[in-house]
Amino acid sequence: MSSTAMKKKVLLMGKSGSGKTSMRSIIFANYIARDTRRLGATIDVEHSHVRFLGNLVLNLWDCGGQDTFMENYFTSQRDNIFRNVEVLIYIFDVESRELEKDMHYYQSCLEAILQNSPDAKVFCLVHKMDLVQEDQRDLIFKEREEDLKRLSRPLACTCFRTSIWDETLYKAWSSIVYQLIPNVQQLETNLRNFAQIIEADEVLLFERATFLVISHYQCKEQRDAHRFEKISNIIKQFKLSCSKLAASFQSMEVRNSNFAAFIDVFTSNTYVMVIMSDPSIPSAATLINIRNARKHFEKLERVDGPKHSLHMRMR
Amino acid sequence: MEDDYRPLLSPEQTGECYSNRDSTDSLDFKTKRPFHVEPRNIVGDDPQERVSAEAAILNSRVHYYSRLTASSDRLLSPPNHVIPWPGELYIYSPLGTAFKVTGSDPSSKNPSIITIFAIWNTMMGTSILSIPWGIKQAGFTLGVLILIFTGLLMLYCCYIVLKSPKSIPYVDAADWEFPDVCRYYFGKFGQWSSLVFSMVSLIGAMVVYWVLMSNFLYNSGQFIYNYVHNVNVSDSEFGTNGSDKVICPFPNTNPGGNSTIGTLYLGNSGNETSDVSFDHWWSKTNTVPLYLITLLLPLLCFRSASFFARFTFLGTISVVYLIVLVTIKAVHLGFHLEFHWFDGTQFYVPEFRLLFPQFTGVLTLAFFIHNCVITLMKSNKHQENNVRDLSVAYLLVGLTYLYVGVLIFAAFPSPPLFKDCIEPNFLDNFPSSDVMVFVARTFLLFQMITVYPLLGYLVRVQVMGQIFGNPYPSFFHVLALNILIVGSGVLMAKFYPNIGSIIRFSGATCGLALVFVFPALVHMISLRRQGLLRWPSALFHSFLILLGVANLLAQFFM
Repeated sequence: MSSTAMKKKVLLMGKSGSGKTSMRSIIFANYIARDTRRLGATIDVEHSHVRFLGNLVLNLWDCGGQDTFMENYFTSQRDNIFRNVEVLIYIFDVESRELEKDMHYYQSCLEAILQNSPDAKVFCLVHKMDLVQEDQRDLIFKEREEDLKRLSRPLACTCFRTSIWDETLYKAWSSIVYQLIPNVQQLETNLRNFAQIIEADEVLLFERATFLVISHYQCKEQRDAHRFEKISNIIKQFKLSCSKLAASFQSMEVRNSNFAAFIDVFTSNTYVMVIMSDPSIPSAATLINIRNARKHFEKLERVDGPKHSLHMRMR
Repeated sequence: MEDDYRPLLSPEQTGECYSNRDSTDSLDFKTKRPFHVEPRNIVGDDPQERVSAEAAILNSRVHYYSRLTASSDRLLSPPNHVIPWPGELYIYSPLGTAFKVTGSDPSSKNPSIITIFAIWNTMMGTSILSIPWGIKQAGFTLGVLILIFTGLLMLYCCYIVLKSPKSIPYVDAADWEFPDVCRYYFGKFGQWSSLVFSMVSLIGAMVVYWVLMSNFLYNSGQFIYNYVHNVNVSDSEFGTNGSDKVICPFPNTNPGGNSTIGTLYLGNSGNETSDVSFDHWWSKTNTVPLYLITLLLPLLCFRSASFFARFTFLGTISVVYLIVLVTIKAVHLGFHLEFHWFDGTQFYVPEFRLLFPQFTGVLTLAFFIHNCVITLMKSNKHQENNVRDLSVAYLLVGLTYLYVGVLIFAAFPSPPLFKDCIEPNFLDNFPSSDVMVFVARTFLLFQMITVYPLLGYLVRVQVMGQIFGNPYPSFFHVLALNILIVGSGVLMAKFYPNIGSIIRFSGATCGLALVFVFPALVHMISLRRQGLLRWPSALFHSFLILLGVANLLAQFFM
């Protein structure tokens, strides 16, 4: 169908052992097979044909491996790797003892980006923050952020501090996805209108591959601040179970005497979750509303930019 | 990920899916059942109690991450610093509820020797000063026998208190204290009455502390004044001659003595008017208790008492110093013992006296630890040795009391003085000019100044917590409570500074509930519920209750 040369990439880069594979696995709900967890460098780039944000391909690269073979490969294939990049996500291990080296590799990546894909968005994740003492985390992150911003000029990089053991990873990736969705503000306004029309308690918009919450609307205060991550985890676990059966997940309805929740495909990039606290409204009514809204929102996505018309042709 | 446009459930594909499945009913659209999600409530009295947000989200993460790796792979298992502290650990049961894990941090478990020492340290209070007086009130032989007997009895009651949370079925009683056990068996009445009696012991201790602190401060001040002004007051008090002077502050209280001897005691015979005015400003009962208010009332109003908890070592040093002091005095004074079994003489008391209940009252407070023994033993590393360690601790406490009591009683110089002169605070039998005793008084004064706010804090937390639900409702509530406590201490110091009586009354009162009645009742009820109550056991425990009641009544009549 479409060759790799046409598809835009999301590069997930970082030193060997900085946590890229784990992070990718957690965000995209990939099972980590035994042989991908190694002490050494990633020998080959890991392609995954993830339909991430509308036909973006996720590539995983180790940077700065000890192996000279690895380094040569990296240098000789540089242009290939860094062409057509939509997003660069670079991961720094906060515990790394070789800060100079890390920065050096990062800078060489940035140079390559500048040459080959100057429009790419750059995100830096300072990872494994749970290993830092709580009272020092803000300080250390601020230091790193300043350094990175300085080094990244003229490119603008957005920095996050993350750890897989608290909510920072989920929030960082949600922010990244939010910045990458085209016309996201328009989506949000329409989402709010949609929610008010169908009298829903809460409406969430998830990114399709990762179930990261892009935007949400709620009509009253909710008790659990971590509910987005929890729902995301639950659905990803369900997707894992489904994939074992060679089945795929399309929609779900959860209902009890107090509420009804619907999760359904929405647009080409998104899923929607609608929560109604009036259980007397029949499911069919809400599902019809969602279906009608879907057409409207797809139209919204189609309206903007040549990027999307490109995606439309590929579909 | 695969192209997920294909719907999961569609009628025409059901037949296809069947062939890939082991069990046939899960994809059958017609028999689809709703999936029940657990409520994740904590088992407890309060139906609104929920698992904490951090614990819930970490649980969700751990669940999810465990699906991403093979079960033997440790790549995504939570590292130690991420695992919540034991108070935040929950065990989810298949029945849909969650239990809080109550095990304490394994690193805070203490070896037996530390636990034994902690119990000894907690039990060693100021009642050690009244043991010689108690032996005197009961008679020497009877006193020693009573000490051993009461120690064993209180040890047994302590053992059944320690055992009581373990025999509560169906409820996780692992971090209950004895008042919680009383509440389980006797409802609100049990909870409130055990609280009230616990307060009696605490407030009694605080009043005793105030009297003693006034006493020690007075004597220390007197010593310093006499030292500075080189006043020699050795002739003004009735006592022995020589370098190790022992005095009899109130010889006219001797019942068998000749009253003419009593009139030898006058006020101090100092000729200087400055002495009189110093005595006016520095009086044991009139002014010194009031001076203490300025020092201690602010300390009582502190919100947290953890600062004072650092000074528990002072108590140990004081007791050790007292033991050394007693040994040295006994060596210098020698033994003066004569055994007159039932009739006293002028100088000696009979070996068996009818006033022995006063000693049992004192011992009930001296061996009292029943309101906190469960908490103390919880940090014992080898829980199976709890009974053994408790017994060893009681043995050591009993030996300490016995040592001090017997030595002071035996070494009290009886030919010039009367054994009946032994004061409820045996340090009062030494003049304020005695250097070693001055040091002991100073140590004890400092120790009491640091323990007094701790006791006040315990009273405040329990009283305010029960009545207002908040250990520090407002400054004025706390101030009012403190003024009440301090006021009672001052009044006692002024009008009735007899610590022997205060100790025996408060000991017998709180002992009635927390040592004899409640533990025995709880033990009998739990045995009956298990169907294991036998006649001898029931008889023995009822006898314990009677003993407790008799102990209290005897304080009023003897």
